[in-house]
Amino acid sequence: MEGLVLTEKNVKLQVSADSWEEAVRIGGQLLVEQGCAKPSYVEGIIRAVKELGPYIIISDGLAMPHTRPEEGAAAIGCSLITLKEPVLFEGDDCPVKVMICFSAVDSESHMDILKMIVEFVERGLIDDIAKAETYEELLEIIKTK
Amino acid sequence: MLQILTVCGAGLGSSFACQMSIDAVLKELGVEAKLDHTDISSVGGAKADIILSGKNFEKQFERYNLDCPTIFLDRLVDKNEIREKLTPVLKELGAL
Repeated sequence: MEGLVLTEKNVKLQVSADSWEEAVRIGGQLLVEQGCAKPSYVEGIIRAVKELGPYIIISDGLAMPHTRPEEGAAAIGCSLITLKEPVLFEGDDCPVKVMICFSAVDSESHMDILKMIVEFVERGLIDDIAKAETYEELLEIIKTK
Repeated sequence: MLQILTVCGAGLGSSFACQMSIDAVLKELGVEAKLDHTDISSVGGAKADIILSGKNFEKQFERYNLDCPTIFLDRLVDKNEIREKLTPVLKELGAL
């Protein structure tokens, strides 16, 4: 399914962003470009984080911006961006270097994306992913040995 | 069977990822449980034996009168933190 895996279209490495909001908009825009979400979904993520706190940070250095499908998700999809300069969220001391945005249409069917994210964390790949300069380097890091 | 609920903002991402990590920890511990995930606004009516959520939700939980043990995690997919905080609660409930 389009958008389910990391491709050159939904990956942007060493992105410059002044704030976490800008970073979420850059990652979210990739979901919009793939037809997986409306711009309202991206703004919905930012609103939810402001309201509820940084619940999207699930491990040191890693955020997975997402919100409820009703905010404008059209299909299951994901994007990955890495930040040249890490961004800070209010309410969390640890700077975020990697952002994996995703859109979901219900509460279960995007399981594969979450499995991929949890696996990156468990294999301790986040720091290496953050350093990747090219898509090929990223693929080399995440490929299962 | 023991019911464990994970809670986050949207109820489908962070809480679901956390559920996967808990599932892995429970398998290591040899504990069987029914796992589910939900969002913070639905937690008031939820039925569970143990609830796990992120530290950032600790304040928001105060408004719910939940009578089950609640664990707040710094990192939702950190299996070591989950094991460390969940083990004493499982022992308390006689599940371990």
